[in-house]
Amino acid sequence: MAGAIFAPIAYFLIASIPLTAIGISTIMIGFTSLALANARPVISPEASELILKTGMENTAALLEELGLRNKAIYLPSSLRGGRPQALIPLKDTIELARIRKKIPGRLIVRYGDNPEEMAIAITTPGSFNPDKLEINLGSTPAEIESATTYVLTGLLDLANSVTVNIVGNQVTIEVNGARLHYEDIWYYRCLGSPIASIVATIACEALNKPIRIADESFEHGKSRIVLEVLS
Amino acid sequence: MRAFNFYLLFMVIASSLTNTILAVIGQDDLTVYFTLNVIVFLVITLLHVYLNPRARRSLSAIAVVFFVGFMVIVLLKVIDVLSS
Repeated sequence: MAGAIFAPIAYFLIASIPLTAIGISTIMIGFTSLALANARPVISPEASELILKTGMENTAALLEELGLRNKAIYLPSSLRGGRPQALIPLKDTIELARIRKKIPGRLIVRYGDNPEEMAIAITTPGSFNPDKLEINLGSTPAEIESATTYVLTGLLDLANSVTVNIVGNQVTIEVNGARLHYEDIWYYRCLGSPIASIVATIACEALNKPIRIADESFEHGKSRIVLEVLS
Repeated sequence: MRAFNFYLLFMVIASSLTNTILAVIGQDDLTVYFTLNVIVFLVITLLHVYLNPRARRSLSAIAVVFFVGFMVIVLLKVIDVLSS
């Protein structure tokens, strides 16, 4: 608005080309700001945080009530009917060969034939459908890094940058400037922090294999997440 | 949104620098200022590939408008050259 008023004044009254150019630049930045303002989410960050915490507390209460302490296994969408989810087994040891077939889309699921082969399948912060986000998921470290950076930096603004390395069956992800850190609470011990949950989902979807969060640490503003690819 | 803040900050700094440098070297053609500002906008938008899809769509629409302005300037220059 200021640029639109200033540019004609600078051109016709002051007769200064550099000042007119500043007016035009201001108009361009104004339009850009307007476009970015319209691209902001409808829900405020405070409301989003409230909803996230409510969901996490409910899931944590469910886990505590059931006494589940096992680490979650992140399953790709191919094993969960089109949507990646996390599976928390009731048993400490789980035979992965048992969960090769598609698991029914329920909260309490049976993944094997034995009565004790039960688990709860829950939706995590990372349980979004990659197809709807226009992400090209490939299995190379560079492709996973690109997809993770896009989601964490561009889409969710939860981190500044991401680096991904794959050695054997371990995927190491370093998240710089992570805005959500690991806390030693029941929910995080089972499912990992929301950032770890998101990167685990992207990695399991990219590799099309079940994944477990093996380790998570936060040092010097850098979050280090180690994922174990289960096969 | 920090990604948005960085993008806008880069835009403001780059366009201010462009205008200042052109003013210092004595450039007196408004089309040169406009053209360089459009190029700066396009380059910075291209570098920020990780903005969310809604923002990218909006910025692409603006980029098209600026590019049309740029093409009009080019067309006028071509007509000027051909007619002289």
